[in-house]
Amino acid sequence: MDLANNLQVLFQGLALGSIYALVALGFVLIIRATNVVNFAQGDFAMVGAYVLVVFLNQLGLPYWLAFLLSLVCMVIFGLIFNYGVYFPLRNRSYLPVLISTLGASIFLQNTTLALFGAQPKLLPKVLNFDGLQIAGVFLDSQYLVILAVTMCCVIFQYFFFEHTLLGKKIQATSQDKDMARLLGIPVALMIAVTFIYSSVLGGLAGILVGPILFVSIGMGSIIALKAFAATIIGGFGDVKGAIVGGLFIGVVESFAAYYISVPYKDAYAFAMLFVVLIVLPQGFFGEKISQKA
Amino acid sequence: MKKLKISTLVLALITSASVFSADTIKIGLINESTGPNAEAGGYTINGVRTAIEQINKRGGLLGKQVEVIIEDTQSSNPGTVLAFSKLGGDKDIVAMIGPIRSTQVMAASPTIAKNAIPVMIGGTDPSLTHVNNPWVFRCRPNDSFSSRVIADFGVSTLKLKKWAIVHSTDTFGTGGKKALEDALKFQGITPVLTQGYTNNSQDFTPVVLAIKKSGADIIASYMTNSTDVGILAKQLRQLGVTASWIGSTSITTDTAITLAGDALYGTYGVSDFTPDANAESKSYSAMYRAKYKIEPDVYSGWAYDAINVLAQAITNAKSTSPDEIKKAILALKDFKGVEGSYSFDENGDGLSGYNIVKNEAGKIVFNKHIQFAK
Repeated sequence: MDLANNLQVLFQGLALGSIYALVALGFVLIIRATNVVNFAQGDFAMVGAYVLVVFLNQLGLPYWLAFLLSLVCMVIFGLIFNYGVYFPLRNRSYLPVLISTLGASIFLQNTTLALFGAQPKLLPKVLNFDGLQIAGVFLDSQYLVILAVTMCCVIFQYFFFEHTLLGKKIQATSQDKDMARLLGIPVALMIAVTFIYSSVLGGLAGILVGPILFVSIGMGSIIALKAFAATIIGGFGDVKGAIVGGLFIGVVESFAAYYISVPYKDAYAFAMLFVVLIVLPQGFFGEKISQKA
Repeated sequence: MKKLKISTLVLALITSASVFSADTIKIGLINESTGPNAEAGGYTINGVRTAIEQINKRGGLLGKQVEVIIEDTQSSNPGTVLAFSKLGGDKDIVAMIGPIRSTQVMAASPTIAKNAIPVMIGGTDPSLTHVNNPWVFRCRPNDSFSSRVIADFGVSTLKLKKWAIVHSTDTFGTGGKKALEDALKFQGITPVLTQGYTNNSQDFTPVVLAIKKSGADIIASYMTNSTDVGILAKQLRQLGVTASWIGSTSITTDTAITLAGDALYGTYGVSDFTPDANAESKSYSAMYRAKYKIEPDVYSGWAYDAINVLAQAITNAKSTSPDEIKKAILALKDFKGVEGSYSFDENGDGLSGYNIVKNEAGKIVFNKHIQFAK
């Protein structure tokens, strides 16, 4: 009984942690490319989920088509976001860009509210069954999909950055923009690609979590806060760190809620943030401060 | 589309304000138009609009048309306080419709006292009308009644004795929990589990596992947000909890029913507003459905009543001075509204009963009305 309960808690923690990780990945990629925290990252998830609602619930397209079209929309959305929110301010310090993303977040939430109204929307699960019951543990089919997709994203990300020219160009851009420019890498384009990729990742997170948390205006902000904590815990700007940080937060808050107290669930993520920052100021995988300077 | 209608309404109100400014009676509406509760806020505006249109069609109040000034709370406590101070500055506003969220009423209570005009509230935390604020009037039954109704129904009708209480940790949830514990104690029962959670929880697994461990045969819930109800309902069923469930009003909302689907079938809820509970609510519901093409719910129903109670009080007082309106509200006896019969006590509580409703395959069906003496 108790083993089953513990496994159940672990499963939920990993699944929610995967969502944090997906959003955190988006954070990290943009931090690396532009040195700016994108405060609208959570809203990418919300936009993605609403786009799927339009294709699936309102236009009645089959799931696979609606899903693909949603990702295509997220590509376009990322491009618009890049040129509308980041590009005009690219030569300024980080602060104007930061505020610009904050503004974008407010704009996105209220536009969505105006277009769709405030009633939360329902998305069907990706798979056509509710879940599996194994030895007293219930594995929600949607959570299984989330775990699988996150795994795929991590593998894809690894190959993309380590084994493709485009990936290496983006890495070079994030490490040193001036040097990259000197080497003939189109920096602006690389940053645009980064925004597109982050937008797709965010949208994917929203689409995946929609059937569980329901699609609402605020869905992104709840996830983004935890994802942001994951980004810092993992090491500000580190890809591995984002994934490990996300899973870490998901699992720890699940267990802490189960064993200690449910009402403080949201506090655990931030309590861990304190602890990690005191013990490991650079986070799990963060670069040393001296390198950053 | 709904948003469009609201903005047209606001526009219409602004235009009408400039045309009739001296000849209207202004009522302020402190409404959650944006933020996480904006959905409910939209329904509230529907209810207010329905009531005001009816009143104006009948010739208005004291020979004047009635007009609403809407101020947004952004679904937050600071936003609510700000909205009250802002509308408080408009000396033409004779009374206000306040929030349905207890925590917001609590936050704004000092501002309400300072404004010194009557405010009709929908928050159901019992303490709200017991803090020596003479300007707060409740147009819904408070939680001491909902908890007594929940305890009474669960123990006497369903005959269940092992109770688990699940509650939000906000003002509403803790207030409800406390009242329910008292009501159960009165029935000689100590809950086997009392479990809090914070609003907008993404995962209720720890709550569900705690319920499972406790072996409860009935769950009583005081939950604020309908999305939370939806998530909890699904996880309860997924993890194989089959206990009966009787919840506070949020379990009966359209949103919760749509989001949770069959996970809420067979559950009970207390509801102050039920479309088919009495003659007033039946005729209101027919009108509402025809107008908005959606089911009426408590967010629109209580606001409809609040405006009508105010209107009756202003008519009886033959005056719009705050003191006269206050006296007239307190003097109201057996005023028939859609939520029941209003007789205000000295604290400003208008109602003292609740409906028990059952979710039968996604339809909310009126079960019984339980009324207490004050």
